[in-house]
Amino acid sequence: MTEAALDHALLVQLVAAFADGELSAGEARVVQEHVRGCARCQRELTLQRGISAALAEEPARSASAGLRRRIEQIGLPSPRPSSLPWRVWATPAAAAALVAFAVVGGAALVSIGVGRAGALIARQGQAGRPIAEIPLLRDAAADCRGAMARNFPRKPDLQAVSEGLRFAVRALDRPDAELFSTWKTTLAGAPAVGLAYRWRGIVVVQYAVPPELIRQQPEVGEALRGAGSYSTSQQGQGIVASLVNGSGMVLVADAPLEELRRLIL
Amino acid sequence: MKAEPKRARFQASTLPHLDRLVALASRWADGHEAEDYVQETYVRAWAAFDQLRDTGATFPWLCQILRTVANERRRTRARRQGLVFITELEAAHEEMIASDAPSPLDELLARLEAGKLREALRSIPEEFAEAIELHDVHGLKYREIAQITSAPIGTVMSRISRGRRLLAGLLAVTGEERAKREVAT
Repeated sequence: MTEAALDHALLVQLVAAFADGELSAGEARVVQEHVRGCARCQRELTLQRGISAALAEEPARSASAGLRRRIEQIGLPSPRPSSLPWRVWATPAAAAALVAFAVVGGAALVSIGVGRAGALIARQGQAGRPIAEIPLLRDAAADCRGAMARNFPRKPDLQAVSEGLRFAVRALDRPDAELFSTWKTTLAGAPAVGLAYRWRGIVVVQYAVPPELIRQQPEVGEALRGAGSYSTSQQGQGIVASLVNGSGMVLVADAPLEELRRLIL
Repeated sequence: MKAEPKRARFQASTLPHLDRLVALASRWADGHEAEDYVQETYVRAWAAFDQLRDTGATFPWLCQILRTVANERRRTRARRQGLVFITELEAAHEEMIASDAPSPLDELLARLEAGKLREALRSIPEEFAEAIELHDVHGLKYREIAQITSAPIGTVMSRISRGRRLLAGLLAVTGEERAKREVAT
């Protein structure tokens, strides 16, 4: 291959970037000089520019009014959860909902939808301690935020994440909840598994945790012995911890509680 | 951080890109499904908004999330409408560029329309089509495409260059009918 041919073979690869203005000034000068004396590269440049310009003319699609409205509502605090009294969760229907969920398996469930805002305050009845003082809930919320920030990089593999664990990891048995990511993690110093689902336009993250971990949590253990579950919510995010059939369960939801109940039921 | 100021910042940063994201999502899905992708993208973006350090890079950041959402959702769905032999296209492109006669290239350029090119994009390999669309249709810079696709910038450069050549080859040899024919890479 002659030197000129070698130059051409190298420089023709840069013609597209030259056409797009993506080369440094020095590189652009070299390519420009070559193109001036190379008919093939002139045609290549014309072609690259022509295709790029034609594609740029394509009329853009717009978002529908419905989509725009839904997206504008993201981040709005739900009016209900912060004022929702504990007794709502203690109603037979809510208790049945929790039991129904527990059948799915001992697990911590974190649902992320709209309305996460600020630190969460734990509440049992009318008062409670901040979530920051309850390691399991604190770590579950933080892990969920981290997984969300990393955009759930791992593909679902229940078998792999369950290996070596002394507690069962079961995915939600719901046809409308699509499992799309699983990962191993540690909550409050204990092994746990995160499972992310897509459910009715929101992302739901379930954490499977050892049951004894729930019993050990301050305030949570007492609530489990009394009401059978522990619940907290603030500004659209709710957390429920429960112990059913020997399996520990914590449910954390960033969706309105009625939405969460729909998931549980 | 207060929710309302955060929400106001989120909306100011992300809403201007909504239409562009819907347009981008349409490369993976149609109609409502494309909008579902975008809605989920915004939900995830809201949850991770505190991680966004440079609001000037909001669009590439949203594109990256959208791309992940789309990849997750279309796991088993084939987007390719009809793949064509790459070597055949490269040969056609080479023939056109090598010819001193201006007519083949001129004819091709005269026939270039966004609609036809869009169709042709569905027939070349995904990585080439994606890079071209992000640049030519959505106006992203090479470094932004590299960030979105997690590819080195040299790879992006190569994909765009080679992808356009494949498009030219496709239009040159196949015409509209053959562009839809399904063959293997």
